[in-house]
Amino acid sequence: MILSLLILYVVTLVYLSITERFRNFASIVSLQGWLLFIIALLRLHAIAPSELAFIALETLIFKALVVPAILFAVIRRTRINRVRTSGSSQFHALLWSLAALISSISITYYVADPTIDPLFFGVALYALLSGLLLIVLRSRLFSHMVGFLVIENGVFLFSTAIGVEMPLLINLAILLDILMSVLMLGVFFTEIDHKIHADDADSLTHVKD
Amino acid sequence: MIFYLYLALSVTTASAVLLSRGRRTMHAIGSLFYVVQALFAAWLLFGGGSGTSAGTIFAFDTTGTLFFLLLVIVSFWVFTHSEPYLSECAPTQTRSYFSLLLLLTTAITGAYFASNLAVTWIFLEATTLCSGGIIYHRRTAQTLEAAWKYVFVCSTGIAMAYLGILLLAGATRCESLSYDTVANVIAQSNPLYLKTACLLILCGYSCKMELFPLYTVGVDANFAAPSPASALISTGLVNAGFVALLRLYRLMARTEIFPWVRSVLLVVGVLSLLVGALFLRRTNNYKRFLSYSTVENMGIAAIGLGVGGVGVWAAVFHVVCHTFIKSSLFLQMAVVRQVYNGYRINRLGDYIRINRIGAIGLLAGMVVVLAFPPSPLFLSELMILGEAIAAGKWWLVGTMLLLLCIVIYSFCLRVLRLCYQPNQDELHPSKADRALSWSALSLLFVAMILGLWQPAVLRDIIDRIATL
Repeated sequence: MILSLLILYVVTLVYLSITERFRNFASIVSLQGWLLFIIALLRLHAIAPSELAFIALETLIFKALVVPAILFAVIRRTRINRVRTSGSSQFHALLWSLAALISSISITYYVADPTIDPLFFGVALYALLSGLLLIVLRSRLFSHMVGFLVIENGVFLFSTAIGVEMPLLINLAILLDILMSVLMLGVFFTEIDHKIHADDADSLTHVKD
Repeated sequence: MIFYLYLALSVTTASAVLLSRGRRTMHAIGSLFYVVQALFAAWLLFGGGSGTSAGTIFAFDTTGTLFFLLLVIVSFWVFTHSEPYLSECAPTQTRSYFSLLLLLTTAITGAYFASNLAVTWIFLEATTLCSGGIIYHRRTAQTLEAAWKYVFVCSTGIAMAYLGILLLAGATRCESLSYDTVANVIAQSNPLYLKTACLLILCGYSCKMELFPLYTVGVDANFAAPSPASALISTGLVNAGFVALLRLYRLMARTEIFPWVRSVLLVVGVLSLLVGALFLRRTNNYKRFLSYSTVENMGIAAIGLGVGGVGVWAAVFHVVCHTFIKSSLFLQMAVVRQVYNGYRINRLGDYIRINRIGAIGLLAGMVVVLAFPPSPLFLSELMILGEAIAAGKWWLVGTMLLLLCIVIYSFCLRVLRLCYQPNQDELHPSKADRALSWSALSLLFVAMILGLWQPAVLRDIIDRIATL
């Protein structure tokens, strides 16, 4: 079951690399939130019920509901629809994404060790690379924000595989990260839209040498 | 218990500043915050607090105590200098600035004393939140851009660092992420996982320590934040990154990949020094100029860790002294802004006639930051070079000397220009506040005294910190 969910998670990452509509971005982030919720439930069933409930609720509320809702609100508010000036074509983005996938599989195979679940490690690494690719290859700030959320989701996925001190410290860390996401999405986006009147990363080039 | 009380009081006073009405009340609450810091410092030094721990997530070791004391001094100076600097700002903006400044000080303290990898990470993330607000203080499009970049890149970097921490936890298979527990079992871990974890953590924390590769956000932050706050970001916050890296370095010293880690630090250090040296020549803004100097100095500290041996001692001493020097220079720069209302290198000049004490402070700061005697940095850089020669790393010695020559040339050119070239900008109506120049100069005096004489207590403390 977990394997199928992880494969579906990888598919969402590949799809993110080629889609250009921002509504699709928000939907994929929401889908990833739901997948993480189910994976957390299946993976962490052995820990104390109260701790499991906290983690599951946190994942469901923030990752699957609140953050996507803010993303949709930002889309409505800023009226951005799709990637206007993509730094690369869909085909090139797909090639980059597949290269990242192959690299992740290779690295996972190379460092394989019984201490860490290689499947989770590989998918988390691919999520990290996918997020970085979204930030580097796309020129709109919204894509950068989604890239950051993809990295966050990858880190959360990996933390479910580790489970060390999961109940308290990792939850606190993730909550703080969620706070950052909501802060950036909510406050900064409305401010950027208000002050700079553009959400293109090209317009953010005044602070330089 | 005392530390949790300290945290509660610090956060309460910092929040109370936000609700205060009038500058006097704000000043009184701010002063109360520093009374709390002073009491906690006294408990650490004289009340037997140093060497103890608070639960399983905080420990008051020598490293944390030394850097906390430096932080309190710099933060107090920054608070004092911020008041006249922000005198023309709207009360709401001033309140949020001071509140965030005090919260930032508290978050940095948490990062210094954290005895757990995850807790260090949490407090470093909290510093991003506070710094972001401070950078956006002026509410302009430029500060918004800098704040956005800072929060975004720091969050991405810190997320990568967290992935590294999780990998480290998985590789060691220990039940706790406390430094002591991880240190006990790290030697048996898979070296490849350790290397990957180390790279991710180093990359993530580089945004805080202003090291290659994520140094750019620190430079932008210092540029956009008010000058006194830049003094804190460029010293206290950078030191938090250094402390986090030093704790990781100590963990790695117990593993077979330690020589590899030192090589990585050497590469990172040399690249930071290169970036600092080249951009010191290129930039046209005095605050960015000082920020690149921080990148250069942190590069030297990373090289110190990379060469190992006495280089570790020199790296810690370098960072300690850099705290006094760079905070003094940024505070002097705040006075420069009072006079010229700007920081453009190609237009400002004649500062020696306008504010003699301020100009002397900048010229003396230049001599000290360039590591000419009686600078303490002369001692640390000499020790690092000596260790590199002893290890037969002549390529490193040659590269360092070449890059340091570029730094010296760029620094002398820019600071002498500010003091002696004819001014081309309109002067700001307000006169330079010489008391502030004297106050900033006092921090530089401390650094110069440390260059001439290192107290036995300080040497002993750094000895203990540098023992791996």
